[in-house]
Amino acid sequence: MSHWEQPDPVPDEALVRRAREGEEAALSALVNRHTDAVYRVALAIAGDRDLAQDISQDAFLKAFRGLEGFRGDASFRTWLLTIVANEARGALRRHGRRRESDLDSAPPLASHAKGPDQMAELSGESARARKALGRLPEKQRLSVQLRVDEGLSFREIAEVIGSTEGAARVNYFHGIRRLREWME
Amino acid sequence: MSEARCEIVRERLPDFVGGRLAPSDAAQVQAHLGECAECRDEAELVGLLHAARPAAPAALAQRIASAARAPRRRAYHPWWGVAAASVAAVALGIGVMSREAAAPEDADVPGIVAGVGEASLWVADDGLVAGAPALEGLSDEALLQLLEEMDTGTTGGAA
Repeated sequence: MSHWEQPDPVPDEALVRRAREGEEAALSALVNRHTDAVYRVALAIAGDRDLAQDISQDAFLKAFRGLEGFRGDASFRTWLLTIVANEARGALRRHGRRRESDLDSAPPLASHAKGPDQMAELSGESARARKALGRLPEKQRLSVQLRVDEGLSFREIAEVIGSTEGAARVNYFHGIRRLREWME
Repeated sequence: MSEARCEIVRERLPDFVGGRLAPSDAAQVQAHLGECAECRDEAELVGLLHAARPAAPAALAQRIASAARAPRRRAYHPWWGVAAASVAAVALGIGVMSREAAAPEDADVPGIVAGVGEASLWVADDGLVAGAPALEGLSDEALLQLLEEMDTGTTGGAA
């Protein structure tokens, strides 16, 4: 599968190098670039917006403290999302059961999603689809979300959710199939 | 429509709706969707999910960036590594000194606390013996506690 993406002005790897050298602007750039994805993963696991924000912050700080140990085997983003997934699971263990209430309401649309007319048209069905996504078992939910929202490959998803690449693929397609059934 | 073709297209749908496919690949997927209702339905679902992906609250990135720039908390400061090494070194010294003072028949007992009388053992609250290899696995909080106890031991404890 060939990916085609607008090249970022500065690749993550370069920002990581500069952040290691103590450049605060590089830290801020990494935060700005990845906060949405980090927050989405935290929210998907924790199910609570306030808690997801705390988890996001903790995950970033943990990642920055561990930058020296980042070997670059995976992309920075995959490494960061693995950290946030672990942080979220830990927070969930400390705070108790995952809350569904925040997932029942229509989520805020990504600012870059659509224009006002299209948003109005899509919001009902989209919100229903996202709500259904929140009802999937965790690994299916994360596999679908990481593939659709973040564009991660199945190999990268496997790293984040702690499974094999094949299991990530199966989780994704099972999740999609169930969503299609629920949306009919 | 061949199932193999559908499988390839369905795997690419998230990249297609996310605009991450090369133009030639996107054109192939688009052409397939024009012919295959099943894949078109799935593309619609993926598109709905993608369009409504939540965004982080506007202030979150700023909050995180500020926290990242703030002076690091004491527990995470690099000097902790030095402090931990110091604790280990001092503890090792205690073990060696204690060994030197031990009775000859105890000298061949393995371990850095060999030959140390029970009263000489410096045991932390959590039961760890100073200088034991397990020191490496201690949390920052536990190391802080050990350090503070050592401070107490070398100043107040001598009185």
